[in-house]
Amino acid sequence: MLIQVEQLVKDYQLNKNQKGFFHAIKNLLMPEYQKKRAVNGISFSISEGEMVGFIGPNGAGKSTTVKILSGVLKPTSGKVIVNGMDPFRNRKKYVSQIGVVFGQRTQLWWDLPAEDTFDLLKTIYKIPDATFKKNMDMFSEMLDLHEFLHQPVRQLSLGQRMRADIAAAMIHEPAILFFDEPTIGLDIVAKERIREFIRSMNQEKGITMLFTTHDMQDIEKTCERMIVIDRGDIVCDSKVDEIRQFSDSERKLTVKFGRQYDRIELPGAQMIKEAGNTKTFQFRTNEVKIPELIAELMSRYEVLDLTVQETDIESIIKQIYEGGAPAYESVS
Amino acid sequence: MRAYLKIAQKSFRNNLVFRAEYFAALLNTIVTILVNLAIWRAIYEEEGGLDNLQFSLIVTYVILALALFQIFTMDEYVIEKKIKSGLITSDLLKPLSFRLHLFSFHFGALLYRIVLLLIPTLLLYSLVYRVLPPFSIEMFLCFLLSVILGYFVMYSLNFIVWLSAFWFYKTFSLVTIKDTAVLVLSGAVIPLWFMPQQLVHFIKLTPFDTIFFIPISIYLGQIPMDQLLFSLLRQVIWITVLGLIGHVLWKLATRRLIVQGG
Amino acid sequence: MYPLRLFLKYFQLTLKVTLQYKFDRVLIAAAVMIREMAGVIILILMLNRFVMIKGWQIDEILFLYSFLFLSYSLFVFFFTGIRDFEDLVYSGEFDRFLVRPVGILFQVIASKVDYTAALGHGVLGIILLQKTASQLGIEWTASGILFYILMLLGGALIQASIFMIASTFCFWTVRTTNLRNMLFFNSRKIAAYPLSFYPGLIQKFLIYVIPFGFVNYFPAQYFLKKPEMNEFWSGFMFLNPVVAAVLFALVCLVWNYGLKHYSSTGNALY
Repeated sequence: MLIQVEQLVKDYQLNKNQKGFFHAIKNLLMPEYQKKRAVNGISFSISEGEMVGFIGPNGAGKSTTVKILSGVLKPTSGKVIVNGMDPFRNRKKYVSQIGVVFGQRTQLWWDLPAEDTFDLLKTIYKIPDATFKKNMDMFSEMLDLHEFLHQPVRQLSLGQRMRADIAAAMIHEPAILFFDEPTIGLDIVAKERIREFIRSMNQEKGITMLFTTHDMQDIEKTCERMIVIDRGDIVCDSKVDEIRQFSDSERKLTVKFGRQYDRIELPGAQMIKEAGNTKTFQFRTNEVKIPELIAELMSRYEVLDLTVQETDIESIIKQIYEGGAPAYESVS
Repeated sequence: MRAYLKIAQKSFRNNLVFRAEYFAALLNTIVTILVNLAIWRAIYEEEGGLDNLQFSLIVTYVILALALFQIFTMDEYVIEKKIKSGLITSDLLKPLSFRLHLFSFHFGALLYRIVLLLIPTLLLYSLVYRVLPPFSIEMFLCFLLSVILGYFVMYSLNFIVWLSAFWFYKTFSLVTIKDTAVLVLSGAVIPLWFMPQQLVHFIKLTPFDTIFFIPISIYLGQIPMDQLLFSLLRQVIWITVLGLIGHVLWKLATRRLIVQGG
Repeated sequence: MYPLRLFLKYFQLTLKVTLQYKFDRVLIAAAVMIREMAGVIILILMLNRFVMIKGWQIDEILFLYSFLFLSYSLFVFFFTGIRDFEDLVYSGEFDRFLVRPVGILFQVIASKVDYTAALGHGVLGIILLQKTASQLGIEWTASGILFYILMLLGGALIQASIFMIASTFCFWTVRTTNLRNMLFFNSRKIAAYPLSFYPGLIQKFLIYVIPFGFVNYFPAQYFLKKPEMNEFWSGFMFLNPVVAAVLFALVCLVWNYGLKHYSSTGNALY
């Protein structure tokens, strides 16, 4: 296992009162902290070459986990081993083997062309000339960096900036890459481009990757495995394919009836929503065939209109967040 | 009118919230006065004249001038910030005069500074040093009038500098140079009577001495009756001149804003 | 020579950023210089009627002043990142430093240089030094020059320590920039004139609390040899490097402790 996390807990200590200097001094001498648990004893492991998506709503603990894995934060308790190392011992050695992209904050020098930042990174990571050139050529080709490498970063579009940022995090050929919201704020084309790049780097170079997002599309299109995290707990850790299979079989049937029925019975389908004479049912195609179900429906009741909808992964994730997730046990 | 009073009131209250800034400003005033008095003390000690009137005169002058200097300090970057953030356009669309709005904001801050900076500073230093009372009641009234006029001279001058934000990316340089000119030439630190004659002649051609030097000289009774009216008149003239320049620049600036679309 | 190479690379980039806005930055540097010059002009205006005050010639006081400008210039050249540390932490840029295989303090120091302030104070300091030293007939022996440079470095380090202790508070998400500016710039204001001008309490403050006395007053005595130095322990004259080294070492310890705290509590603002 390349990354091993066991019973990881992270509490933030929030200063109760941050206003005013005298309060601040008082706080310093007699700290009055409010504990806020960001990560609540999570465990998972990732093997070499895997690509894992971390998904969850804002404040779920995704970023905290990435910060812990990249050595910025120290865990409150629990064990973290990455590449055989503790991220907090021997920081310099550890961080030279990883790459981190903070989607919200660029590491590029704002007033200078991106190439200057690359130049600096070359010195920082002691990258040999040949390797540097090889990588720059590769990035230029795959991400079209050459189009904007000479422009000051402040003039770049968000998509261009993110492409350069990702290249900057990879220029020293890290074995592991952490992305914190790499697609945040991007338009669909730019997102697609970045997903494609990430995917191919994982497949061709075998770089282990972990990234956080709250865009399900990111995960569907790039990852084999996803970890759903909510309020500091892992609520689902499974293959994206399995969830997809599950979602493939689930359908929603919305029916508008011609008159009021007190009770409606449809074998194999459960009513999940009711609004006047319009009712929504849920069923699985591997349990009930659609034609049979509809025939049944038509023969028993007076129907004005009906639609059948596929369930996308996004709505399954939503169910998982909402705590219900009847579906989840059967897939994991 | 109601709206402007509200703005001033809000600005006053707003200042109350920032306690750290308050203590910083108070300490700055106290230390600046302390350092200057220490030098004057050293000078008069050398001359052996710590007890004479001359020393009390200069002590009173320095305390008054620097305390006034502190309360005449304004937030110099209001317009620049509004231009940078783009808020200026929406402010101009409001059914309020922007310039009166701006003034009300500064007026609220001024009242705050008078109550919480000027009065404590004067009280503190009148306990430590012999601060002379006003020359006479009439002179004191003239002094009050002159201080108000001085404030308007300062405000009109500042306004012109602030407006440069419509043309320059950053006003820091211009503001700093203006501050320095005021500090040196207005008599905020050294009374004009200690300056070389030629420099005084030059200063008399500028608005600078009408900000601090004239009011304090009136307080100390250093301006003869026959020149008193002329001094006040100079203040009024400078307010008019600077105000007119500010008005023209303001018209140009807003026109520019409309043409360029903020 | 990895650290040196890296430092030069950072130097190249920070300079490049500054040169991007040449006109703007030159104007700012000029404004800073003019602002600082105000103190000098006021002093000259104040004293032009008197040959001496309390045994001090005007050139001697300006010589004292030159230490302040030059050491501040050096300080700001090397420690802008420490001066602006609050921004660095609150903008999240600091987290980036933690994931790079380079010393944290090194990055803080190397990644930011306020050339405008360094230039503004530096030029003024050199002009003052040149003028006053020749007026006062100070003989620049090799040891004198060495002493002066050593004192400047020490002075820069003392000022860096003051800023650094304030920056440590950022690790606890306590904002102290205001307090720091208040203490630092007021102390500097006082230190512009000979300590003997002030009451004992203020003298002690500048020796033991905010040790600005060691930045200019005591080192200047080596060259000026004022009789009033008898009121102080004569060793003070040479104590600048010791004060600087001890202070800076202590502050670094505290800073590192703060850093540890930071990584275990995190930036609670996110």
